[in-house]
Amino acid sequence: MSGKTEKLLEIKNLYVNAEEKEILKGINLQINKGEVHVIMGPNGSGKSTTANAILNNPEYSKTKGEIIFEGENINKLPTDEIARKGIFMSFQSPEEIPGVSVTNFLKYAKNKITEKPVKIFKFREELKKYMEQLNMNPENMERSLNVGFSGGEKKKNEILQMLILDPKLAILDETDSGLDVDAIKTVSKGIEMFKNDKNAVLIITHNTRILHSLDVDYVHVLINGKIVKTAGKELAKEIEEQGYEKYKTGVKE
Amino acid sequence: MNNLKLNDTPVRTSRNFNINNIKLMDVDIPEIIDDFNNLEIIGEESQVQNNANINKSKLIYGLGTELEKLNEKSNKDLKIELDSTDEKEIQLNFKFDDNNLTLLENIEIIANENSKSTVILKYISTNKEKAFHNGIIRVKAKKNSEIKIIIVNLINEESNNFISIENNIEENAKCKYIMVDFGGKNSITNYYSNLIGESSENIINTIYLGKENQLLDLNYIGELRGKKSNIDIDVQGALKDNAKKHFKGTIDFKKGSKKSKGNENEFCLLLSETARSMALPMLLCTEEDVEGNHSCATGKADNKQLFYIMSRGFSYKEAMKLIVRARFNKIIEQIDNEKLRNEILQEMNEKLD
Amino acid sequence: MKNNIDEINRNVYDIKNKDEYEFKIKKGITKDIIEEISKQKNDPSWMREFRLKALEVYNSLELPTWGPDLSELNMNEIATYVRPKTKLNTSWDDVPEDIKNTFDKLGIPEAEKKSLAGVGAQYDSEVVYHSMKEELSKQGVIYTDMETAVREYPDIVKAHFMKCVPVHDHKFVALHGAVWSGGSFVYVPKGVKVDIPLQSYFRLNSPESGQFEHTLIIVEEGASLHFIEGCSAPKYNKVNLHAGCVELYVKDNAYLRYSTIENWSKNMLNLNTKKALVGKNATMEWVSGSFGSKISMLYPMSILNGEGAKTEYTGISFAGKGQNLDTGFKVVHNAPKTSSVVNAKSISKNGGACTYRSLVRINENAKNSKCSVSCESLMLDDISRSDTIPVSDIRTDEVEFSHEASIGKISDKTIFYLMSRGLSEEDAKAMIVRGFAYPVSKELPVEYAAEMNNLINLELEGQVG
Repeated sequence: MSGKTEKLLEIKNLYVNAEEKEILKGINLQINKGEVHVIMGPNGSGKSTTANAILNNPEYSKTKGEIIFEGENINKLPTDEIARKGIFMSFQSPEEIPGVSVTNFLKYAKNKITEKPVKIFKFREELKKYMEQLNMNPENMERSLNVGFSGGEKKKNEILQMLILDPKLAILDETDSGLDVDAIKTVSKGIEMFKNDKNAVLIITHNTRILHSLDVDYVHVLINGKIVKTAGKELAKEIEEQGYEKYKTGVKE
Repeated sequence: MNNLKLNDTPVRTSRNFNINNIKLMDVDIPEIIDDFNNLEIIGEESQVQNNANINKSKLIYGLGTELEKLNEKSNKDLKIELDSTDEKEIQLNFKFDDNNLTLLENIEIIANENSKSTVILKYISTNKEKAFHNGIIRVKAKKNSEIKIIIVNLINEESNNFISIENNIEENAKCKYIMVDFGGKNSITNYYSNLIGESSENIINTIYLGKENQLLDLNYIGELRGKKSNIDIDVQGALKDNAKKHFKGTIDFKKGSKKSKGNENEFCLLLSETARSMALPMLLCTEEDVEGNHSCATGKADNKQLFYIMSRGFSYKEAMKLIVRARFNKIIEQIDNEKLRNEILQEMNEKLD
Repeated sequence: MKNNIDEINRNVYDIKNKDEYEFKIKKGITKDIIEEISKQKNDPSWMREFRLKALEVYNSLELPTWGPDLSELNMNEIATYVRPKTKLNTSWDDVPEDIKNTFDKLGIPEAEKKSLAGVGAQYDSEVVYHSMKEELSKQGVIYTDMETAVREYPDIVKAHFMKCVPVHDHKFVALHGAVWSGGSFVYVPKGVKVDIPLQSYFRLNSPESGQFEHTLIIVEEGASLHFIEGCSAPKYNKVNLHAGCVELYVKDNAYLRYSTIENWSKNMLNLNTKKALVGKNATMEWVSGSFGSKISMLYPMSILNGEGAKTEYTGISFAGKGQNLDTGFKVVHNAPKTSSVVNAKSISKNGGACTYRSLVRINENAKNSKCSVSCESLMLDDISRSDTIPVSDIRTDEVEFSHEASIGKISDKTIFYLMSRGLSEEDAKAMIVRGFAYPVSKELPVEYAAEMNNLINLELEGQVG
């Protein structure tokens, strides 16, 4: 952790419904610049809902609470404005966009995020560098975004987008799930490349493998829509060994 | 002798494509209608009311006014009211024989709320005499009902077989059809479903088999009106000799059918170079949040598949039968009545000989 | 993408020049009127007789009993021949200022310099400009207006004119036969490969009139050509009619690509007929973008007459408010080992209606033929309409025929994904729609692809119509 803490994201007593079912039941979370947070929890505990709620996915509705980003309440902002404020989300299952090449998409998105035209040469160099480091096939760049990509290619592409768009807060929703060991290493390498003391990372996962190769500041355990425990990296190790059972008891369904 | 123009599609296309309707030349329309007495009912007979006063409202589509009018002189009016919730089966066997060659029947089937049942309508010839069949079947599937209707046409290949079906499917009702269309010189079907209720469902599985100069004209129309309604049409067929088939399938997403789904799949296996297959799978849509798909394919049996089967010692004809049977099986399997299933398989065997 | 391409101003298409002309025939369709057109056009006698015969056919045929409602078309209100106040020119400098300006703004002379081997430009009923690179004429390529062709190549024209599309085909073909004027004639000799496209542009300026250009293209054995057709008109309150006719002869081993970007104004009834006869091992490709017109009925057709002939249709229609675009493709497999591929897309928005209507016929003699059709429709709101009406008629068993179609909307999940990358909802939708249209735009020369994307943007923003 850097010496001076500067608040980036704050979630206060957040309640969220999905299809009229209450999923989040009063979440509190604070993420400062320079920090890496992990939310862990069993399937259906509300991890992805948290990510989607931050980005204001219209399929989820907030019934109570606040999401504050850099001092501003972003509860009701449209998703694109939230993205332009500097929050990025790596999707669990990225959407396929036929007819739009990866390069064109990245260029276009970068334009939108920075709100000024991209310098093509610099952009290309940057793209090349990141792709090499992520072991990505340059031929994929001219293919339609995510169309026909394998699971691993899609996830790497999400990380590439994160690096190019360079957000203040990157939320990685199950980016590690379904990946083999090498791919997980590549993804963590991407996160390492991204991370600095001006930004923050929120990793959402249900297994601990990715945490082996990453420096993590806080681990939160989410059970049944509530954060039941927050601690340092050692908590992940404990869960790896003992599972969630201990935390499940005592939390009402 | 009459010339008939029948089975208009809900939307016309270019006349040159010859599919907007079907013209039949020199059809013997019976003038004197004798009684039809060879009806066998298997199952709980009390559910069937003979000569009942039944709904004969004008059909939305139907095969055409001429045939609809003809059934005002019907010789069988049956009302089948279904209340059971234990999937009881009732089977009506209409047998054409020397004394029963004309059947003009009106059938009204009502599946009451929460009922679960199966109705089998089997039409079969016991001789080679030319018969005339014109049936109008009106079905009402009330709220939360589940009804399976199996229509089996095993009429001889000299006869004319006309069927008009009209379904109204209410909220949460599930209406499933299995149609086996093997018989008739001309076998002309008009099938219309009105999926009026929210989450109403209509599944139609059809197999057809045409040989010699048989003509099949299937005109299936599904209109989705209820939210989250769902229609699924699957038609599998094979044609040999000079047989000819027109499949016209329309899925129409009407206003209000948000979140509805419609699927239509038609496959025609051509078993001779003179068989002819026409298809018009239409998707009509005036609603945004819907999902509609159709696909159709026509071709001959896969040579690799044939070779594989023959390498196991099957003759060409047997191999062909196996391939057709493989296609039909997933539909035939849905008929629980084993006796009926075997009867269909046997007929299939004979037709493919 | 909008940021990367200069904005095209819709106003370009809507520039109305004063309705000035040298001659405008009186409205209606009568024998006298046809004879007058023939006289004005200085027809040879065979053409005059042809017109009169076509008129008889026209009078004997009925309006189609299917498809869009054409009842608002009153032929008594349409002037079928309008001669602009200029002769055919071979230099833009000689074209009258206002007409030249129109084509300038449409980017035609500019495109000619940059990416075309030849250009024809028609204004109302007559071609006002025609020119082709010299090296092509040296190779024997002919690219001229149809009137010149009738005069100078009577034998070729007589042998082909309305032989591919006979006047009996339908009422509007018969009408075309009676009143046709303008259009392009292309002849590519045996073995000549024309690498750079030729383009004809059709502009209808005069209100309450019709355009009836005739395009006749003959690509001889082993030759190849890419022909582009563009069209537009300013919008008037009353109906205009376009009933052109395109006849394409693709001889053995020849290749022809025919690309169209159609952007008629939204008072236009576009009842156009296009057909290709495709020879042995020859290839016919259709690329078609339909954006304009109030009503379109347009079904290009390939007849695969030679063994091994191939055809492809790649098309998109985009119907907005008040538009009814009934388009599609027809193919007849008439020889062994022929193949066809159809990729059709449509987008309906703001009350617009798209219909995909088609015919695939595989004849008895077309053994070992293949056809695959894919059809996708996108509904952008719940007040629009989208229909798919495809007919297949398979008359032999040694074939592979498959057809797939789907209809749906843009998924909310996809929109959310793109918005999470900073795109506004409108931008996200536009990107998805452009991606949807990409299989068509990628087949077009780059300028036209850009124009198409801009038309899509304009349609999505609802600035058009």
